[in-house]
Amino acid sequence: MSDFIERSKFSCALGGALSTIAAIPKAVPIVHASGGCAAALSGTYNLSAGYRGVGYCGGNMIPTSNISQSNIVFGGEDKLVGQIESTIKYLKGDIYIVVTGCQTEMIGDDSVGIADRYRDQNVIGVNTPGFLGNTLRGYDAILSALVKEIVEKKDEKDSRTINLLGIVPGHDVFYRGNIAYLTELLGKIGVRANTFFGDGESVEKIKGYGDASLSIVLSETAGQITAKTFEKVHGIPYVTTELPIGPKASERFLRLVAEKLNIEKDIVDKVIEEETKYFYSYLERIVDVASDLDFQRYVVTFTDSYYAYPLVDFVSEELGWIPHFVSINDLQDKTKQETYTKKFENISSRTKPQVIYEDKVGLAKKKLRASWPYNNNQKYYDSLGPLFIIGSVVERDLANDYGAGFLTVAFPVSNRAVLNKGYAGFRGALTLVEDLLSNLVAAR
Amino acid sequence: MPVKLNENLKYNYLAADEPPVRDERVGGCIAYCDSCAGLQSDFKCGCAQVQNRRFSQSGGCQLGLAVGIINSLTRAVTIVHSPLGCCSGLAGNAGVRKTSRASRGLPVEEQTFIHTNMDELDVVNGGVEKLKRAILYAEEEYHPEVISIVNGCVPGIIGDDIDAVVRELEPQVSARLVPIHCEGFKSRFVSSGYDAANHGILKYLIRDPKEYPQLTEEAQIKYDFAKKYRTSRTVNIFNVGSNSNGDEVELSRLVSALGLIPRVVPLNATVDDLDHLGEAALNVSICATHDDYLLGHLKERYGTEYLLDVLPIGINCTNTWIRKIAAHFHLEAEAERLIEQENQELNEAIAPFVEELKGKKIFVGGGETRILTTADFYKRIGMELVGIKAHNLDRFVENLLNDIDDPGLTVEVAAGQPAEELNTLNRLRPDIYIGHVGANGWVTKLGIPNIPLFGASINYMGYSGAFELARRAARALKNTNFSKNIGKHVGHPLTDTWMNLDPNDNIVQGDRF
Repeated sequence: MSDFIERSKFSCALGGALSTIAAIPKAVPIVHASGGCAAALSGTYNLSAGYRGVGYCGGNMIPTSNISQSNIVFGGEDKLVGQIESTIKYLKGDIYIVVTGCQTEMIGDDSVGIADRYRDQNVIGVNTPGFLGNTLRGYDAILSALVKEIVEKKDEKDSRTINLLGIVPGHDVFYRGNIAYLTELLGKIGVRANTFFGDGESVEKIKGYGDASLSIVLSETAGQITAKTFEKVHGIPYVTTELPIGPKASERFLRLVAEKLNIEKDIVDKVIEEETKYFYSYLERIVDVASDLDFQRYVVTFTDSYYAYPLVDFVSEELGWIPHFVSINDLQDKTKQETYTKKFENISSRTKPQVIYEDKVGLAKKKLRASWPYNNNQKYYDSLGPLFIIGSVVERDLANDYGAGFLTVAFPVSNRAVLNKGYAGFRGALTLVEDLLSNLVAAR
Repeated sequence: MPVKLNENLKYNYLAADEPPVRDERVGGCIAYCDSCAGLQSDFKCGCAQVQNRRFSQSGGCQLGLAVGIINSLTRAVTIVHSPLGCCSGLAGNAGVRKTSRASRGLPVEEQTFIHTNMDELDVVNGGVEKLKRAILYAEEEYHPEVISIVNGCVPGIIGDDIDAVVRELEPQVSARLVPIHCEGFKSRFVSSGYDAANHGILKYLIRDPKEYPQLTEEAQIKYDFAKKYRTSRTVNIFNVGSNSNGDEVELSRLVSALGLIPRVVPLNATVDDLDHLGEAALNVSICATHDDYLLGHLKERYGTEYLLDVLPIGINCTNTWIRKIAAHFHLEAEAERLIEQENQELNEAIAPFVEELKGKKIFVGGGETRILTTADFYKRIGMELVGIKAHNLDRFVENLLNDIDDPGLTVEVAAGQPAEELNTLNRLRPDIYIGHVGANGWVTKLGIPNIPLFGASINYMGYSGAFELARRAARALKNTNFSKNIGKHVGHPLTDTWMNLDPNDNIVQGDRF
């Protein structure tokens, strides 16, 4: 059973569904719920995900059945029928996705069944009541439905095509940039990535995703269900790895893909060599200031599991910073927690970070404070500093209290505007270095 | 003959756990799209109130508005009793609350909030145990003055008894516990959320003020006289979530100029401020839609007279606002002197903007009281008012509506519903649009320059607010490239079928609510 959460960094399943739909080109959601859900949830990702906006048909543009008291008693199916029929007429869309809120699921409206009646007009239905789970659950609900309903079955697989999963639009504030960097990187070793949300994607293209020969999931908590659906429905196997940030992680990522797809080692070696060279040709620029001003930092992160290891791995293995404390807010399962914590043994820094799993912000802060000895008024005190905190905007005051450098990467990010920026791969990592160091020199 | 806005309204609901929703208590119109004259007569005969729409889009939720009030209180922790989605926007909003408090010179606090995170199991078993744990956690970790529990749709439908939880835990916690019944599905009027929050404030937060330590007899007499005098001159100005500090400073300035003592409540207040709410001679609302429930009940409790019917926006309405307050204290002469001086100064100051704006076509959309007063201002400075759109329409603006002397004016009533609005705007093609958060982005995508109706840093009320209204509109027209580019390259998702439809055809009579 789940517990209460303090300062939740997630929306509900419907929120995740709407954020996901907003990222699919020309997809139109139809919400079967009370009037406020759609605009409010869409607003969460408009304002707290680096100002990504409401998208093609988001915010208060979202068609909604506006369920009220009497529908709770008498049912709201008629209202949904009316909304589907008018939406098809009045809104341009390549696909219409009926999604549901708590109210209509609790009263037992058969929304998916109704949506099915309009299947020939590009309508599909998905159950996404808020109580189903958090944002990530909504992401998987939508993608799984697309994989089942829209993606066409193909017996012939293309050995150089993969599906990229686990990058949740909005929840990963940098999803567009990350997808772009990874698509470009995979292209260099001759692999085409199906991404659902990347540049140039469309509903038409999504229909052809059945020819991929592998799904790569970049998260433990998102995309797993979709990958399993791809496996079950289309016979596409999957592998789970991390979001690669920086040369070493990107090299591991490329070698994994190459191994799974049987790509010649020479091709991969060449790309890795060139890209590493490219990375260092730019990183070189900050070598002087980093050395002269002693930019090595202790690092504390407050993120979800999608960003925790990749960020810590990058700052430790590439920048030589000291990972001290990692707080993760989205892994509840004890076994999964243990497996995830084990990853940090791969870190070559002499100090290994303390890894905690906590979704109550107040308690996470307390645990951070307890992770370092107090100053008992001694004259010589080995303090936790200089410190850098990588987290979400929720940790801004904490960073202030510790006098730490601070960068928002994990959701919510409301103190930065993000357009095509991303941190993945060799080249995205350069942007991450820019952002980390900009924070340290901002006052100069 | 102007109607009395709160005629026949009763303010005796505090014995109940929750207030009646606006649908029952006040009623009103949520869907209309035609001429002003049509609405004036349809509203009078009650036809406008039974309209609904076929194609509908997402509007608002009363929970959001209730939280806007209750979460503003000082040293408060809000517990959202629902799945994670309700109020998930709070996550990225911490800075906004902080800036708002800092701009008022209030102590800046890092505020937390809690979601009970109801899941499928809780839907079956009830979420009360989790809620109890959350309340005790908030008390133990933060020792707040207020812990509010806002109830979402899920516990509302399964029947979690949050009032019983509050009664059970009250003896165990030092914070004042306040249950807020604001389930979204319960009302078509988001303004029900105001009543929900104010019901909680009235029933659970306002307590009899603490008496000060025993004074000597002489000192006590002095104290009592001072207090009596202070109370007889104090005017409570009731702020709303969309107020900026600039608005509060301006309105306080005008009340002070009459020789009265202004006090701005209840947003951002401490529980101590709330306890002393009764120590005033007059309660003044700046938005009847927002406050009638609160002011009506305060009258029942303390006997404090109140003013509901004017919003101090624009020159004309601010004049009336001052006159009404002054009349209560028999300060008519002082008021006229103040108004004359203020009007003269302001008219000189806005002259250059008026020159720029004269004859330009404007459309105003947003909350009912604001848009009617704002439209009145722009019209009076010589702009051509081509249309207005209200979120909903109820008795609180009937006088303002009847005052509009423009039978053919396009009038829409719709909460959100950008499709209807874009359709109308596309026909009217105003030079500038001024509207509520959530609408402006779509208007930009239509290629029409626009400014927001209000904002955390925008002064909108009083004379200085009128100056800003003119100044901002004139500024927006200085360079309209952004909306031009977006209109050309981004666009909106509506089909030609929709854009060519008469939006009135989307309105139906008497659909079941």
